[in-house]
Amino acid sequence: MDPLILGFAVVNGLLIGGIYGGVALGLSLIFGVLRVVNFAHGSLLMVGLYTAYWLQALAGIDPYASVIFTVPLLFCMGYFIQRVIIAPLIWRESALVVEPLSALLLTAGVYLVIDNLALMAFGPDVRSASTSLDMPPIMLGPIPVNMQRFIGFSAAILAAIGLVVWLRQTRMGRAIRATAQNRDAAALSGIDVPMIYAVTFGVGTALLGLFGSLLATFIPITPNVGLSFGIRSFIVVVLGGIGSIPGSILGGLVIGVFEAIASQFVPATSAAILSLGLFILILLVRPGGLMGKL
Amino acid sequence: MALRISKNMGAPQLATKSGYGRMATLLVVAAGVVALALPIAMPDPYFVHSCIVVLLFAYMATSWNFVCGYVGQLSIGHAMFAGVGGYATVLIFSRLGISPWLGMLVGGVLAAMLSVVVGYPTFRLKGPYFALTTIAFAEMIRIWVENTDTFLGIPLNGAAGITVPLVGESWVAFQFNGKTPYYYVILVMLVLALLATWRLERSKLGFYLKAIRGDRDAAEALGISPARYQLVALAISAFMTGVGGGFYAQFFRYVNADRLIGVEFSIDLALMSIIGGQGTVFGPLLGAVLLTPIAEITRGHLGGVLPGLHIVIYGIILILAVLYLPKGLIDPLRSILSRLSKNGRSA
Amino acid sequence: MTHSISRRGVLGIAATMALGSKAFAQPAEVVIGWILPLTGVSASVGQQTRVGAQIATDQINAAGGIKSLGGARIRLVFGDSQSKPDIGVSETERLIQRENVAAVAGAFNSAVTFPASEVAQRYKTPWLTMGAVKDEITERGFEYVFRLNNKAIYDAREQIDAMDFFKKETGKGPKTLAMFYEGSDWGRSHAANVRKLAKERGYDVVLDEAAPPNQVDFSSQLLKIRAAKPDALIVAFYTPDQLLLSRQMMEQRLDLPYGVHSVGGGTEDPAFYKAISPRAVAYYFVQEDRQVDALQGVRYPEYDDLEKKFRELLGYNMSAYGAQGFATMYVLKDALERAASSDRDKLRDALAKTDITSGPALYVGYQRIKFDEHGQNTFAHGAISQNLDGQRRTVWPAESRAKDIKPIWPVPAFGARS
Repeated sequence: MDPLILGFAVVNGLLIGGIYGGVALGLSLIFGVLRVVNFAHGSLLMVGLYTAYWLQALAGIDPYASVIFTVPLLFCMGYFIQRVIIAPLIWRESALVVEPLSALLLTAGVYLVIDNLALMAFGPDVRSASTSLDMPPIMLGPIPVNMQRFIGFSAAILAAIGLVVWLRQTRMGRAIRATAQNRDAAALSGIDVPMIYAVTFGVGTALLGLFGSLLATFIPITPNVGLSFGIRSFIVVVLGGIGSIPGSILGGLVIGVFEAIASQFVPATSAAILSLGLFILILLVRPGGLMGKL
Repeated sequence: MALRISKNMGAPQLATKSGYGRMATLLVVAAGVVALALPIAMPDPYFVHSCIVVLLFAYMATSWNFVCGYVGQLSIGHAMFAGVGGYATVLIFSRLGISPWLGMLVGGVLAAMLSVVVGYPTFRLKGPYFALTTIAFAEMIRIWVENTDTFLGIPLNGAAGITVPLVGESWVAFQFNGKTPYYYVILVMLVLALLATWRLERSKLGFYLKAIRGDRDAAEALGISPARYQLVALAISAFMTGVGGGFYAQFFRYVNADRLIGVEFSIDLALMSIIGGQGTVFGPLLGAVLLTPIAEITRGHLGGVLPGLHIVIYGIILILAVLYLPKGLIDPLRSILSRLSKNGRSA
Repeated sequence: MTHSISRRGVLGIAATMALGSKAFAQPAEVVIGWILPLTGVSASVGQQTRVGAQIATDQINAAGGIKSLGGARIRLVFGDSQSKPDIGVSETERLIQRENVAAVAGAFNSAVTFPASEVAQRYKTPWLTMGAVKDEITERGFEYVFRLNNKAIYDAREQIDAMDFFKKETGKGPKTLAMFYEGSDWGRSHAANVRKLAKERGYDVVLDEAAPPNQVDFSSQLLKIRAAKPDALIVAFYTPDQLLLSRQMMEQRLDLPYGVHSVGGGTEDPAFYKAISPRAVAYYFVQEDRQVDALQGVRYPEYDDLEKKFRELLGYNMSAYGAQGFATMYVLKDALERAASSDRDKLRDALAKTDITSGPALYVGYQRIKFDEHGQNTFAHGAISQNLDGQRRTVWPAESRAKDIKPIWPVPAFGARS
């Protein structure tokens, strides 16, 4: 194979893979701490994308500047969803040994509601936002690197680093990690577990607000755009190791490069089958994923 | 339902003698009589059509419940079994000219075989891991079928789907102009599935499954092999789902991968069972009987006016049911029944 | 309003006279059902069609309804198929059994239209196919099933015909083609037709690639197209994927000497043009079932009203689907007038004898509507436009070109555009 084409494929795979990883960060964090598989993850990203779009369409705010609105908004949404919808379930099931499968169903309900409310409110038409910043591609040798995707990629890496540092260094972060390790022990040592859960959920969804703003400039926005990221985010998280923050990024990069190179040899449809196969294989052979736990 | 219960209240002497068990039996018998008489009493084809759809989903949800409800694992990939059954039924009839009745059984067997291949490695996984793996398997099969025109000389026809060749009214070809024959076929299938579930609850297999569900490690220590019994249950469940897929094909006369092997179809089956009450004989039936008409009525009344509202309502019902009726709708019904029978006894 | 069918006008009058005083007993309204994907991935198409059909219905009612039925008004009822075959079938049952419709139209998705039109056939209810292009829909010997629009094979043939024609016109043209399409029903069946025709006409297909719907990145596929070096690219994608593809092609400056040839889908969706930079779609060739830059000859006042209302309701300009919804209702009106009855069999017979050569039913850009013995409108044809200075202007067939329009062929590279 032409090494230049291969180089292209690897660079593209890394860029989009980093973005997959960034989008999956919140999913991994929420699962790691709450043991809740958030089916509404993609839908919340859709909310972030629409927020960025409307801020530009109505108030003329550049999608990159809209971060200051989308991040707090999505934090509040996540906080609210946890407090009002998921928390009652977690406390009810706390006595049971089984992992809260019902939480998956609850979030599936949230996904149905959010996606279709968006359809009712915004209509089915596709939208796109665009940045007013002039961003020519930077050249990596002979390979042009798309700036918007590069920004998304860099944000994913930075967000992951920031999240790890926050979890290690701050009081809140340590409380979250303690809760993740042993909820009951954490509660006994005076940690407000319900609050920790809500904040964790909020942080997980706030990250989607960030990526909503950053991706709005190049992803077509529709009420069911979340589906494009939904299943892939699960693959990324499982591949990297559920609950692992660096694992999420690593999983994204592996899937991104894997699909980019596979696509050079087989059609995209077969590449999709292959990455699902990879997902199953990883779960069966190495259920902990590439990286350990949180 | 409420109507029938109040009728029973009017006849307390029956409840006095019988208590909860007889009360429930009475209810089942009454429901059975109503079900048998329905297409005769209300022959309106659209009504019968809607009833068939309800019964089909009730049957599919009961099949799903057979393994998932009793093992406590969430499969979101059952559509792959329905797909195998549906495709096999149509292809066996259109290519080989073999009656769909036989085709449905072959489809069921093929689905059971697939379930063993899928289930053998995946049943070791728990909770969300298992659920996500079943999605991944079903999605692999869906994408593969959508992009495969012929496989080993078998025309799968890719994403375009395949149709049942029309031959007119014929029992052998399982094609009827009226709705009533389909109604009784799916009713019999549902009754068989319910009987199978009822039998399971009282069998060694059912006992083992419940033990595995309660505490897998303890069950294993007792010498119950979780993998083996789960696989047996999964194979039976897949067989039933496959036969149901065959019925779907014959009734709608068309199968395509996007729908019949789609995630949404799997989710529907799981939701009906869970909302109705998984791990019970009648829970999935109850879920289907309540949810399918809600979907149909809201779609009919709101779908054209406010697109999306009907799915929002569906989602809210799901959230409320998971939060407030964790054991399913069957749970409050049971307590009403037992309270009624107690009242009867004291009176 | 013009009704061309003068010979049948006599019949109509005769029918009215025969009914005489009974005319009062005629139903005061005629119910027409529509099966459309109003939610789910194709919701946009369903909404556009619905608005087009509703505007036509309002116009017909405002102009006095169905005159041969004593001014009966048309009422529309909609069923949401959610793009799922079984739900489409159930909704068709509902419309036919419960709403007592005189005819059903729909359903855009071939996968829904196929089984749902069979239901209509079984109940002897006329089914007017809208949007669905699968060839077999009108090839099953169903006498109650009609189709106004192109078959899939027509779409593919027009694309290749246009290339052949431009080649003849200029002496220059592509030798190699690449195909890139969405991997579900529509994209794959279109690709199969193009593959067959390209071989017959001596084109070399150097890349034949499907992608699952709702992608978030096409970089890998664009690389493959770049490596295959085709002279022209044939695409079939729905709006979100088309938007992503067009943007990335511009960003990566992927040049094709003889341009991008799209077969409707995203490129006929007005929402697409609202969302995309005009530079990204410059010189695109778009085959669609409607002549996009106005009609030849007469324009009716109905059209201005239609286009204005459509823009008010949806926020963008008329689309091919809106036009088809609109035209379908006028075809039904024409048949109802001639049948002078909302009886399904009489309406079917009237539909079968449809021969419209003027009037709003031709809004989509056909010169005539007449169904063959299979129910296919043999006068259905598409038109191919090229995006010139931000306007989609018809360049094929040549007789539909405006005087000042000439296709740019070959198309300039991204670097050479101003």
